[in-house]
Amino acid sequence: MTDNVGTPAIATHDLSKRYGNGGRGVLALDHVNLTIPPASVFGLLGPNGAGKTTLIKVLTGISDITAGSATVAGFDVRRESKAVRARIGWVAAEVILDDDFSGWENLWLQAKLQNLSDWEGRANHLLTYFSLQDRKDDKVSHYSTGMRKKLEIALALLHQPQVIFMDEPTIGLDVGTRRMLWDIVTGVHKEFGVTVLLTTHYIEEADALCDRLAIIDEGRIIAQGTPSELKARVHADLVLLEMSDGLDTPVVSAIPGVQEVRPQGGDWMIRVGSSEEFLPRLLAAIPTDQIRRISVEKPSLETVFLDLTGKRIGAEEPMRDIRKFYAQMRRARS
Amino acid sequence: MTSPGVSQFWGLYAREVLRTFRNPFVMLITVVQPFMWLAFFGSSFGNVPKSYLEALFGASNYIQFLLPGVLSTSMLSVGMFGSMSTIQDKRFGFMKRILITPTSKELIFVSKAIGAATRGLVQIPVMIAAAVVFGVPFVLTPVQWVAWVAALFFLAIGFSSLFLAITAPSTDWQTPGVVSNFITMPLMFASTALFPSGNFPAWMQAISSVNPITFSALLGRSFVLGRAVDWSYLGYLAIFAFGMLAIGYAVSARWLKVE
Repeated sequence: MTDNVGTPAIATHDLSKRYGNGGRGVLALDHVNLTIPPASVFGLLGPNGAGKTTLIKVLTGISDITAGSATVAGFDVRRESKAVRARIGWVAAEVILDDDFSGWENLWLQAKLQNLSDWEGRANHLLTYFSLQDRKDDKVSHYSTGMRKKLEIALALLHQPQVIFMDEPTIGLDVGTRRMLWDIVTGVHKEFGVTVLLTTHYIEEADALCDRLAIIDEGRIIAQGTPSELKARVHADLVLLEMSDGLDTPVVSAIPGVQEVRPQGGDWMIRVGSSEEFLPRLLAAIPTDQIRRISVEKPSLETVFLDLTGKRIGAEEPMRDIRKFYAQMRRARS
Repeated sequence: MTSPGVSQFWGLYAREVLRTFRNPFVMLITVVQPFMWLAFFGSSFGNVPKSYLEALFGASNYIQFLLPGVLSTSMLSVGMFGSMSTIQDKRFGFMKRILITPTSKELIFVSKAIGAATRGLVQIPVMIAAAVVFGVPFVLTPVQWVAWVAALFFLAIGFSSLFLAITAPSTDWQTPGVVSNFITMPLMFASTALFPSGNFPAWMQAISSVNPITFSALLGRSFVLGRAVDWSYLGYLAIFAFGMLAIGYAVSARWLKVE
């Protein structure tokens, strides 16, 4: 078993995954093509249900591949699954540890499963690095959420993997713990030279942590690049407009600097070169008493996603329903 | 560095056993349940004349007759705990943690089956001690003690493998209980665990004659009551254990569900 140094940490070629059979099946991954260089932090950004976790399951060998191929650390995920699993670490969205065991015993079990013989020194180093040395003999059920997360990352690093998968590593964490985890992800990458593939639906997380990222929606990679490359794709501000009645789109489209006017849900999304120049012209061109709300979004990963998919990464549907509900309430009062 | 399989088996097996021994409640139930069988069921013939007991059971104390049978039936329930532990691992995601290492599904199955059987062995000394309290004398040779424990261990391996194979594709908490009820009742009564098979109708005698619980109960009884020992029973139980282990191994490789 030789390590394939110099090859991409992860490469997928037309990777597809379908759950269920026939017409009622769900295509969770649709011809995904990714090349992730070694020693990078790569982010997979997308809303819930976009296929992020499925991609991790397929790459770690937990789920079968329906079509296409993938390599991790240079080994074929399908044909050389054991070689892949000896070279990867995994940090779950929900912390998964044996609560009946101490921190040290969890590390011991991981060492046994990875068939490590000289693991104690490394385990102690990791416990010290993550400030868990004093509590290593305590049952992990007595650990705080942050400590549990740190131990899980220590488990993932114990066998010196080439790639670590982190599935929504900060979901459900408070702001302080999330910041701590961001520092850990950056530190782990630098200290241990490991490739990190993390999934997230937090824009700011992807922006802060990732060297490169791919935006995934409905199982398809719709864009990839560095955060600044992706932001540069949207050479525009997005103006979101909610009107009580319809919008006279030919009038708005005729305003200088407008690149595109398109409906987005019940609202309107207007791409403009400069929102500062556009807004006074807009207010002069349409009846202002019909404007319910105007918001401006400067180029960000959120606007990239909005621009590419016409929707937001966060929970958009319920929000729109609430707005409709408020609109109905206003009409009922008037 | 040891062979990967040995290292992985040892890790998972130790986890199975340690988790049980660290849970006082599980330990208490494991020990008390068969004890209650002896105390309540065993005492149900308490006032029956000895001559009647001798005629029906070939023993002057019903508990003396019952003990090898109850120990055999309690090996049925250890299988249920084994499959519950597997379903717990699937539901809490620990199965994924294990499988995102070079560990195979078959190895998880083997360590669960042998771990569950080991848990079952804990009941043996407790039951023997309880039987002594109820006035049962033990005059076994060391070889007979070893053979008896081996027979019960084979039975436990066989049943825990059977349970694990049946529940391998499931993640439902209720499945082990339902499967347990479905399997335990007919196997327990269609055996010589509680009563001699001489008075059974022909169809129950037919089931009893191939039921591994019968073989384990008869072997144990021959040791406890000082009867002639038919060592082929031990061979039959070994075949049952390894046969079920092989079936469970193949089923787990193919159908063990991860989550």
